[in-house]
Amino acid sequence: MWSAMALIALLFFLSVCGAFLGAQRAKAFFNSIPLVLYWLAFIVLLIVGIGLFRRLLLVPALLLIHIGCVLILVGALWSSAGGHILRQKIFGIKKIPSGYMKIYEGYSNNQVELADGTKSELPFAVGLKDFRIDHYEPDYLLVQSRRGDAWIMPVEIGAEYFLNTQYGTIKILRAFENFKINIGDENRVAIDDLGPGYKPAIEVRINSPNKPVTTRYVFEDSQGHMHIGDELLLRLQRAISEYTSELKIIRDGKIIVEKDIQVNHPLHYGGYHFYQQDYDHQAGLYTVLEVTSDSGLISVYAGYLMLCIGLCWHFWINKLFRKGTSSLKTASKSE
Amino acid sequence: MEIKYTIQGLFIYLTIAFYLLALIANLLRLRKIAQVLYLLGFITAVASFGYRWYHVRHVPMQNLFEVFLCLGMIYPVSLFCRHILHVGGESADMLIGAVVLFPAGFIFNASPQKLPPALQSWLFTPHVAVYVLSYIFMAKAAFHAVLRLAGSNPRAGENLLPPEEATYRMICVGFPLLTLGLVLGSVWGKRAWGDYWGWDPKELWSLASWLVYVGYLHFRYMFGKKHPRINSIWVIAGIIVIVVTLLWVNLSRFFPGMHNYGAAM
Ligand code: HEM
Repeated sequence: MWSAMALIALLFFLSVCGAFLGAQRAKAFFNSIPLVLYWLAFIVLLIVGIGLFRRLLLVPALLLIHIGCVLILVGALWSSAGGHILRQKIFGIKKIPSGYMKIYEGYSNNQVELADGTKSELPFAVGLKDFRIDHYEPDYLLVQSRRGDAWIMPVEIGAEYFLNTQYGTIKILRAFENFKINIGDENRVAIDDLGPGYKPAIEVRINSPNKPVTTRYVFEDSQGHMHIGDELLLRLQRAISEYTSELKIIRDGKIIVEKDIQVNHPLHYGGYHFYQQDYDHQAGLYTVLEVTSDSGLISVYAGYLMLCIGLCWHFWINKLFRKGTSSLKTASKSE
Repeated sequence: MEIKYTIQGLFIYLTIAFYLLALIANLLRLRKIAQVLYLLGFITAVASFGYRWYHVRHVPMQNLFEVFLCLGMIYPVSLFCRHILHVGGESADMLIGAVVLFPAGFIFNASPQKLPPALQSWLFTPHVAVYVLSYIFMAKAAFHAVLRLAGSNPRAGENLLPPEEATYRMICVGFPLLTLGLVLGSVWGKRAWGDYWGWDPKELWSLASWLVYVGYLHFRYMFGKKHPRINSIWVIAGIIVIVVTLLWVNLSRFFPGMHNYGAAM
């Protein structure tokens, strides 16, 4: 029991130290060889503990709790990058632990880029039919004066908003999904380009008292669009509601599975999970998927379930309610 | 920090005021008055939650503001602890009620929020709600641990547990909830980011706080009530690590992490 306490105390200490390292370095640290030995010792101690202490075997809730911990640790080691390498060396099972795929719309790909920059191949291809970003309606126009006044208004084409007597009104004229300037013979013309690209903008007209009416284009990131003479800083605010990649899995030239994946809705196929990770910020032409192996996950989840059921059973049913009320009075007297 | 000049804000401040007045009355041993004020605070907290529900037109459990608003209705926890678990400590509950409503009243943004994609998961609300509920029980446990260190005991005839056992009972309720919070967060992380454990500072601190209680439970199993002071110190250490997990990680620039969910993509 003291050794269990020592391992628990050590893990507490390591977790606190790990918190100062940042996620990446902490991950490398907790996956390093000495720490793998530590995890193995923890697993062994739990199993030995279950064998040694009869109560741990006889009280089902306690058994669930401790076996749950074993399953979580075994599953975690199994799913780690080291676990994958070891299985490949011993059993010849080749599986990619995790990596990234960049897929262009209309194309398919089976190349996964690994953390070390090398590439590995999946036994099937993943195709991208379409990638899209959905926004919450409506967009908002943010207006800020140099003095620090601020206004926020929904983007409705044709709507005119009164700011104050100094700045007058602002009217929303048009909205663009992919703003471009066409330079014709004499004039520059703003157009909504139907070709590839993604640059949302709106056209507004500012009508301030005693000043000429001005037309301005407002973008999501307006830092570069405030000119020296401008009194108002304008910005378009669009809240993203979802990123969607329409994926298909292709094996031997046939489409096996099709699924639209989103941030909380990955695709599971062939022992891998595919996550919406990133996208082409300039033109929205490709998606970036995170690919992770599902090895060990069942063990971890089974462990979670056993741990939670065991704890609720042990503490809520056994401790609080079964013995609880009857032992109350005696307990009060004993102090 | 911002004062909310809205009906919602008024409800929150009224609740905080009732809870704090109830606390003062309780400390002055004006028990009846304290109970009435506490009940009034609860009624205002329910009105506040109901108003939010009416205002946003969905169950208000989608962001931290709403979850904390919900936890402001702490009165049933007090009743449950006193009448079912025989654990007192209403003064602490009144203070906890006021403390959880403080960020709702002065810090969190109350405008109905648009959830970023990562937060649009059915696991988000139970993860947060279960965690905060467990924190309430752990705070109550720490309160009783302090009472034990101070040598205070419930008055005869109150049918309440002495502080050491009350502390243990609170941990018995809170620890499974704390574990559930950790597990739900992990499962959500897997669905949203692809990894059930990211070694993020916030995750490591939550693991550390969980481990303090694992250590306490084993220690108490080994020695029972033989070392009540050490048992109490253990539980107080637990709440300190929880506070670090809750506040310091989010506020401090020492911990580079991804638990600022808005920037998840
Ligand atoms: C992180 C890992 C562990 C967790 C979460 C855990 C959890 C628990 C819990 C909740 C209890 C019940 C305490 C109570 O009844 O008050 C318990 C009891 C116990 N644990 Fe662990 N434990 C862990 C590791 C270990 C290890 C490595 C050992 C190996 C020696 C161990 C041995 C015991 C024993 C002997 C008991 C007493 C059972 C009884 O109540 O009769 N535990 N553990």
